[in-house]
Amino acid sequence: MTTETAPRPAPWYFLPMTVLVAGCMVAIINFGVRSTFGLFTVPISEAHQWPREVFSLAVAIQNLVWGIATPLAGMMADRFGSARVLMTGAVIYAIGVVVMATSSNPLVFHLGGGILVGIGIALSSFSIVMAALGRIVPPEKRSWAFGLATASGSLGQFIFAPFAAALLSAYGWQNALYVLAASSLGIILFALPLMVQNTSRSTAVAGETDLSMGQAISKAFGERSYVLLTSGFFVCGFQLAFITVHLPPYLAEHGISKEMAGLAMGLIGLFNVAGSYLSGIIGGRGEKRMPLSLIYLARSAAVVAFIMLPITPVTTLIFTATMGFLWLSTVPLTMGLVTVMFGTRYMATLYGFVFLSHQVGSFLGVWLGGRLYDMYGNYDIVWWMGVALGVFAAIVHLPIIEKRAATFAAT
Amino acid sequence: MGYPGHRFALGLFAGVIFVWLAVMMVVMRHSVLPPEATGTMMVVFEPGTAPDAAFAAITRAGAKPIRDTSFGFIWVVDGEAGKLVKEGALGAYRDLPISPIVSGCVAVVDAKAADAFGL
Repeated sequence: MTTETAPRPAPWYFLPMTVLVAGCMVAIINFGVRSTFGLFTVPISEAHQWPREVFSLAVAIQNLVWGIATPLAGMMADRFGSARVLMTGAVIYAIGVVVMATSSNPLVFHLGGGILVGIGIALSSFSIVMAALGRIVPPEKRSWAFGLATASGSLGQFIFAPFAAALLSAYGWQNALYVLAASSLGIILFALPLMVQNTSRSTAVAGETDLSMGQAISKAFGERSYVLLTSGFFVCGFQLAFITVHLPPYLAEHGISKEMAGLAMGLIGLFNVAGSYLSGIIGGRGEKRMPLSLIYLARSAAVVAFIMLPITPVTTLIFTATMGFLWLSTVPLTMGLVTVMFGTRYMATLYGFVFLSHQVGSFLGVWLGGRLYDMYGNYDIVWWMGVALGVFAAIVHLPIIEKRAATFAAT
Repeated sequence: MGYPGHRFALGLFAGVIFVWLAVMMVVMRHSVLPPEATGTMMVVFEPGTAPDAAFAAITRAGAKPIRDTSFGFIWVVDGEAGKLVKEGALGAYRDLPISPIVSGCVAVVDAKAADAFGL
């Protein structure tokens, strides 16, 4: 006689809803904590009597390390599962923030705030979360899940800045950093449900490639569509980083009050949540390359309108709301395209390389913005570079072939 | 179990905002200045207070306005917390390094909650 045992229901912490909430919380904390560092520039520089350059260099190193570490973090996530990588990242992130709070030596500060925090952000980033979600949720819900995770990251940016400011005011900068370090450790807790997606020692699943990781990377870069996608994402980084860093001084030059500029930057965060979420929905309903192309085109149009019209509080708010709506809306579509072309097995790794291009763009957007301003005394040339690059990105997305790459088809 | 949708997303974000507001309340409570505190501070009046009325109260308290906001009931001033409260301010808070509109709105909610719950 044989007895059939009914499959045990999954525990509550592995249910889809729990996993989604957990993934979103990771994205909120990861993006949120990172977005607060600018608030510490003045208190830390004044406390140690450092020139602003010390703090700025730490953040510059952080961004560079974040970009370089993202493909490596992706490789680890694809090999060992997202949860383990997120937990490791959370610990490194927290240690880095604590080092920022305790070091009085610039070199140690650069190590903590630059290298450790950069690695921590990469390992606990929402791209690692999205890789897990991409494997967990069914294909028809994948783009929505990417949009949800991206919107969560945006929400994190929006809510953590006032939170950190209040912490600074109530408890001082050192204690505020300790609280933020403890917050990043919260990622460990929220990563636990993602253990349901464990790629450790896994073999290729049905419909996925059985290429090795090295082969996958090499063959992906041999795909024209992947190279086009990567080059387009460079533009995203360039535009966003330039606006983040250089829009406030640009507004000040045009007589917009500091308060209005702060409000305008806040609008970016708010509209970013809606834009990212909507982009995930759109990506799930059809082609991804066309919406991506339109996003870049719309960004260029918004910039042209903004710089051609008189700069007033109204045009500023309309511009930042529009840019906010288009801000991270590229992410769910870009991640979605990576998944369509290459499947989910190496998605964290392959998205990591696309993101590295984004970070190179970010670096150039910030650096060229300052450099060309110093040379010409205004931001005009960089605004127009952003417009031209936006048109370039809109064009390069059009020939992308939105289907599984031949070399990644299941064998 | 099926996969959730837009209501789930809305609920999640609303829940996060709710928790955030609660945490912000706690932190803002610790930013309240004692009556004897002096220097640069953010002062909030009853929402709807006209900018002229708030300005008058600030000057009656012997404080120096540093900057106002689009909301006329939130000001950054140099003065003494106790005197400002006596002149009708809901509360005086340490100046926060973010837009006073955002911090002022949270401060108003904090002051109302403190009043309601006797904190």
